[in-house]
Amino acid sequence: MIDNGLLVQMLIGALLGVSVYLPLAAGQLSLATPAFYAVGGTLAALLSTSWPALGAGPDGSLPLASFLLVLLLGGLLAGSLALLVGRLVLRLQGIYLAIATIALVEIVRVAILNLPFTGGAIGIFGIPQPFPTAAGYLLPALGLLALAGWVCQRLEVMPLGRAMAAVRNDELAAGCMGIDTTRVKLTAFVLSAVLAGSTGALAAHFLNTWNARQGSFDTAVTMLAFVILGGARSWLGPVVGGLLLTALPELLRPVGDGRLVLFALVILLGPVLFPQGLMTPALLERLGRLGERADQGEPQP
Amino acid sequence: MIEALLQTLLNGAATGGVYALVALGYTLVFSVLGVINFALGALFSLGGYLTYLLMGGAISANGALPGWGLPLPLALPFPLALVLAALLTGLASLVVERVAFSPLRRRNAEPLLYLITSLGAGLALVNLLQMLMGAEGYAFPAGALAGLPAAVVVGGARIRSVQVLLLAVCAAAVLALTLWLEHSRSGRALRAVAEDATTARLLGINSDAMLRLAFLVSGGLAGLGGGLIGVSISLPGPYVGIGYGLKGLAVLVLGGLGSVPGAIAGGLLMGLAEALVPGEASGWRDALAFAILFAVLLLRPNGLLGRRLVEKV
Repeated sequence: MIDNGLLVQMLIGALLGVSVYLPLAAGQLSLATPAFYAVGGTLAALLSTSWPALGAGPDGSLPLASFLLVLLLGGLLAGSLALLVGRLVLRLQGIYLAIATIALVEIVRVAILNLPFTGGAIGIFGIPQPFPTAAGYLLPALGLLALAGWVCQRLEVMPLGRAMAAVRNDELAAGCMGIDTTRVKLTAFVLSAVLAGSTGALAAHFLNTWNARQGSFDTAVTMLAFVILGGARSWLGPVVGGLLLTALPELLRPVGDGRLVLFALVILLGPVLFPQGLMTPALLERLGRLGERADQGEPQP
Repeated sequence: MIEALLQTLLNGAATGGVYALVALGYTLVFSVLGVINFALGALFSLGGYLTYLLMGGAISANGALPGWGLPLPLALPFPLALVLAALLTGLASLVVERVAFSPLRRRNAEPLLYLITSLGAGLALVNLLQMLMGAEGYAFPAGALAGLPAAVVVGGARIRSVQVLLLAVCAAAVLALTLWLEHSRSGRALRAVAEDATTARLLGINSDAMLRLAFLVSGGLAGLGGGLIGVSISLPGPYVGIGYGLKGLAVLVLGGLGSVPGAIAGGLLMGLAEALVPGEASGWRDALAFAILFAVLLLRPNGLLGRRLVEKV
């Protein structure tokens, strides 16, 4: 029931979940991830289809090095956009920030739909493939997720990550402690955008076609649901949430027409049944202790 | 020239009126509960479909009951169908409160969770509509507005009378809402709860009942909007309300969260701005509302008519 294609999609979901989690770890409810995902994907689709230097073959193949370069460029473009937009929107608080980022998502969507070179409603198709099968994408997707997880894990002990936690708990107090709250929030926002942009570039190649529908308001909410259902206290939460919730609509396929209703009910009931998410602080603590024991080479009970 | 402009402005005002209805729907719940009900767009769709069904419209071939429609003697004329559909949508809004809001409220959950549950409820409703009615668009039965002439002439400009109707119904709804909030006992109680729920409860106001009332009226306004858009344009599919819900959100912030005059002014402003987008650039029209919102948020972070929030430490 879970084939390689679905596994890649699940990993993409996990990556997007981590992207929504990063600003949230600094206390900022940003729904801008789909906008950066769309920007990264569009850039990748444009470059791979029409930049001859990347060396796309006539059989629709793409050298691996070019693919990795495009991933990097997608992340960089999204990150630069975030740097520009972030300075403006991060002055807003709470629900105002959420709505401003929804506005950003809609502006990007309409722009991709109407710009003369992005293929309109049909989008860009026939994107060259670096791998002959879906299985090939597993490795880069896993690699990207491992990188994102490593960064998040490092953040927990780095001054930047500590500062993000401080801003999340009390922005005013963090500012009084001498933390440059604007810089901390902006860094989290840009990191989130870079991850979303690279994920978009990966997804564009994997899907083989790219259009404006990839980044919309619905996807913004679904991605936030990844974080909330998985648990917003650690990066593992959005990973678990992203994997499960991306797989769910496919696993529900036998249900037929009602599957999207069921999926929506899961999103509706999730926060009611698991207010702390699946990866609760207590569970994370137990995982942490297991990890320590493994480090010390003690036998596990 | 002047006629064409007048025509454009009236069309814009009619659309703006619908945006204002949606924004007022958000405002009512926000002022009492402090959170945004993201299911409102789906309720807007529901209102449109209910109006269609109550008028005796038939379900399409892809729906759950292909070809079924209310038997003719039961089919209602448009005005009655519109009002009844708005009422039923209000009741559906109460169900949304029950499943998506009250479980969280009872345990004082953080506001972020309401965002997810209300959106989940909205998605469920939209997908349910798609299952029952199919994904295709519906045009309202011919003769929905049989009693009205196709167009009226105002100051030399020919205006579709359905646009005039839209504007009139929106204005009447907004006026009724304002009068109710300002002068009636229950309207004042609602405002008291919005001001300070604890004090209101100490004064003997049942704040839970007021909250349900806010949901009822808010859903009714969205349902009214859905029925009006259905009759004036058509229902392009179950997702129709999501777009209007998003525009309403932009209007809500434009006017300032929780401000009734702000929602009305913001709606009209947005509708007029969209109407003035020239035809060649019509693809960009949907981005205009959000571009305006963006600009306003950056210049006035609390909206045009919003109250300044003073943060207490």
